[in-house]
Amino acid sequence: MTNALPAGAADVELVGISKRFNAVVANDGVDLVLRSGTVHAVMGENGAGKSTLMSILFGLVSAESGQILVGGKPVTFSSPLDAIAAGLGMVHQHFRLFDSMTVAANVVYGAEPRRFGLIDTRAAEARVRELGARYGLEINPRAIVASLSVGERQRVEILKALHRDATILILDEPTAVLTPGEVTSLFTVIRRAADTGTTVVLVTHKINEVLSVSDEVTVLRDGRVTGRFATSEATSADLVQAMTGREVLSVSNPGTGSAGDTVLTVDAIDVIEDRTARVKNVSFTVRAGEIVGIAGVSGNGQHEVVEAILGTRSVDAGSVELLGADVTALTVRDRRARGVAVIPEDRRGEGTAITMSIAENLTLGHHRSAPVGASRGIRKGWISLRASRQRARQLIGDYDVRTSGEQQSVGSLSGGNAQKVVIARELSHGAPLLIAEQPTQGVDVGAIESIHGRLLDYRADGGAVLLVSHEITELLALADRILVMLSGEIVAEFSRADATTAKIGAAMAGASAATDTTTGASA
Amino acid sequence: MSAPAELPTDQAPRPSWREHPVARVAGIAVRHPAVIPLGAVIVAVLIGGVIIVAAGLDPITAYAAVISGALDPDSLDYTFSVWAFICGMALAAAIPLRMGEFNLGGNGQLVLGGLAAALVAGQLDLPAILSVPVALIAAAVLAGSFGAISAPLATKFNIPIIISTLLLSPIAIALVSYLVRFQLGEEGSAVAQTERFPDEAQMWSIGNLSYTNVGLVVIVLLMIAFWLVDSRTAVGFELRVVGANRRFGSYGGVRVGRLAIGAMAASGAVAGIVGAIIVLSSPYRLIDGALLSPGYTFAGLAAALLAGGRPALIPVTAILFTVLQVGGASMERSADVPRQLSDVLQGVVIIVLALRTVIESRRSGGKGAA
Repeated sequence: MTNALPAGAADVELVGISKRFNAVVANDGVDLVLRSGTVHAVMGENGAGKSTLMSILFGLVSAESGQILVGGKPVTFSSPLDAIAAGLGMVHQHFRLFDSMTVAANVVYGAEPRRFGLIDTRAAEARVRELGARYGLEINPRAIVASLSVGERQRVEILKALHRDATILILDEPTAVLTPGEVTSLFTVIRRAADTGTTVVLVTHKINEVLSVSDEVTVLRDGRVTGRFATSEATSADLVQAMTGREVLSVSNPGTGSAGDTVLTVDAIDVIEDRTARVKNVSFTVRAGEIVGIAGVSGNGQHEVVEAILGTRSVDAGSVELLGADVTALTVRDRRARGVAVIPEDRRGEGTAITMSIAENLTLGHHRSAPVGASRGIRKGWISLRASRQRARQLIGDYDVRTSGEQQSVGSLSGGNAQKVVIARELSHGAPLLIAEQPTQGVDVGAIESIHGRLLDYRADGGAVLLVSHEITELLALADRILVMLSGEIVAEFSRADATTAKIGAAMAGASAATDTTTGASA
Repeated sequence: MSAPAELPTDQAPRPSWREHPVARVAGIAVRHPAVIPLGAVIVAVLIGGVIIVAAGLDPITAYAAVISGALDPDSLDYTFSVWAFICGMALAAAIPLRMGEFNLGGNGQLVLGGLAAALVAGQLDLPAILSVPVALIAAAVLAGSFGAISAPLATKFNIPIIISTLLLSPIAIALVSYLVRFQLGEEGSAVAQTERFPDEAQMWSIGNLSYTNVGLVVIVLLMIAFWLVDSRTAVGFELRVVGANRRFGSYGGVRVGRLAIGAMAASGAVAGIVGAIIVLSSPYRLIDGALLSPGYTFAGLAAALLAGGRPALIPVTAILFTVLQVGGASMERSADVPRQLSDVLQGVVIIVLALRTVIESRRSGGKGAA
């Protein structure tokens, strides 16, 4: 899956970059070649190591091993200032602007034109106009940043980098916050910059963007390079495969048994954040004894759908029904009491408290019911520490968590063992609805098999399971039905019998599922 | 693949020195929760020593005077009362600290509690058996409601609790000060103070001790109660979960907004009860400024921070600040070192603890960029 690229002058080269954060390998021997005057897309799902790689290139993080070559010469960036001096500029996903100051002041900040020792405002404004005209980034230099739209603020960020004479421009997920119109004009700017000799690095996980604007693509997965393509030769299916990979799975859904009553009904929900619709008019149902899969490249609204079902996020339209009752207005606690369990995507940020013990992590959500707590009677509101520890020991045994004991902190466990703690806690609710979001992310092969087995057992016992995954093979192995999400919408649905990797991959990449897939994937 | 075929052999990831066995053992030792508070105290004592030397005095004599002054058998009664008040205010700080929130409005809550107690004790003429409990309850209700205001301000209007408590506090202080000076003040007195409360409204004493009274027992009971709530109840568990990871708490079904209201109300109520106990004790008056001048609030906050909010550690860390506070006065008398030095030491302890937060966030800064 690794294609050779045409030879050319390498402007910037990253060679064998490795970086670990504690036990997590963020980059593992990554090579990246950026050639002058090209748009180079760095692709990968969340957690694939894109951001770490860019932080290393920009001097924000130092690599454990590997080299950066600029114009063939090795360089060491100990801070972004070194990187800027070497001609790099970075536009971060979250803008770093002074909201109360003018566009011109923001653009020249740190490298102000001076006159008699004071900042020459007129020269600064002239500079903004000149750069704007040259790159098609017209903007009023006197406007206050706080009054600008998100797209305009991004222009200011790009101008900031260009003002410092950046010849290598890194854009980190630049379209995440933009409207479609703004995306189009950003791409025009990117093309123009590349045509004038600037190297543009586009960090993204959106396949259609890569195909429409880039010249070359490097795909990362789990910190390694899994594909290099010249965009003209790449298809969306190639990119999906490189991003999501495939593994041979030994457990699979027998497809037997019939689904029972409807457990979850999601009816026409919208979720809007930062004026962008994250979820648009999504409707689906999950019945007892059924695993419904949601496929999609991460960041296409799947997580927001899960949050809307659990209640950690409110919906802007539509409703969520659980076992026939409308729960849209209920709190997380009430929804959980009615029967939702969730294995969340972000294990460290949402699924556990890493500083607390395994026993305490297993207790949350079970602390107001027997055996740890009590829902009524004189013991209501109290917790039995002994019962909590005993239950923890039991679950540690049942789920084969490798640990020195139930008092060990979850932060000191490996990813797979921490995930087993989350799964043990959520499965032991015996809730009618189980939502499993990326349940095998960052988990070793042995644990993957046992997690898949657990989900199938849940289905066999009459549970309704909603499985959100970027792994097509995982969905094919487990799900009875597969929905595909793209840009906040459900764009395709497949039954178990119809689903194939190619069809799902095409739908994930934006090709219409019903039509010929070869026409798809152009933005 | 266009990458260079060969890599220099020394590019293989080297084992970091952190993985050396000695470094690992040292690392575990350094990460023990007691290390940082202890380190903070040691650093503070050393810096204090340098300051004393710089002032041309003898640090050994000065510190000896601090210790002997605080533990002087004749004044143990007084020392114990200071310890209890610091414990009380430490408790007020620790309750929200458990869920990761800072109550910096202890002073306002303290004086409101004092005010409520003074109104009950001075105006109501209740029988002895009722007056003290009613005064304590009134103080808890008034100061607790005042403290609770900050929780909805945070959840509805995004005003951080640390800010709103700090800014609301002077309003309460000014209000109480005004009432004592112009409305409730004793006629003909040169000092802004209420009249001395009748005997039946005074805090019940224990034997013939002049400082230690039943009020201090109440504070100790409150500490035991919080220890129980913290370790044995669902609410205490939720507080700790939210303090460890707020998103984990909401995902698990903890109603964080309600919890914050409860924690802030309990925090304010404890501060109010401390204020009430001080006012109902000798000299049995609400005196303008007298609740704030001993600095119990910030000594308590420092003790709570040093204990990391853990209820079982607060009595221990409070000893340190009690010794500084009580011993500081005797250091001034016998070693001729100004008592302000004890304020300096408190400040240094807090700075060292704050540094830890900064260093930890720096360390995880790299992680954030990942």
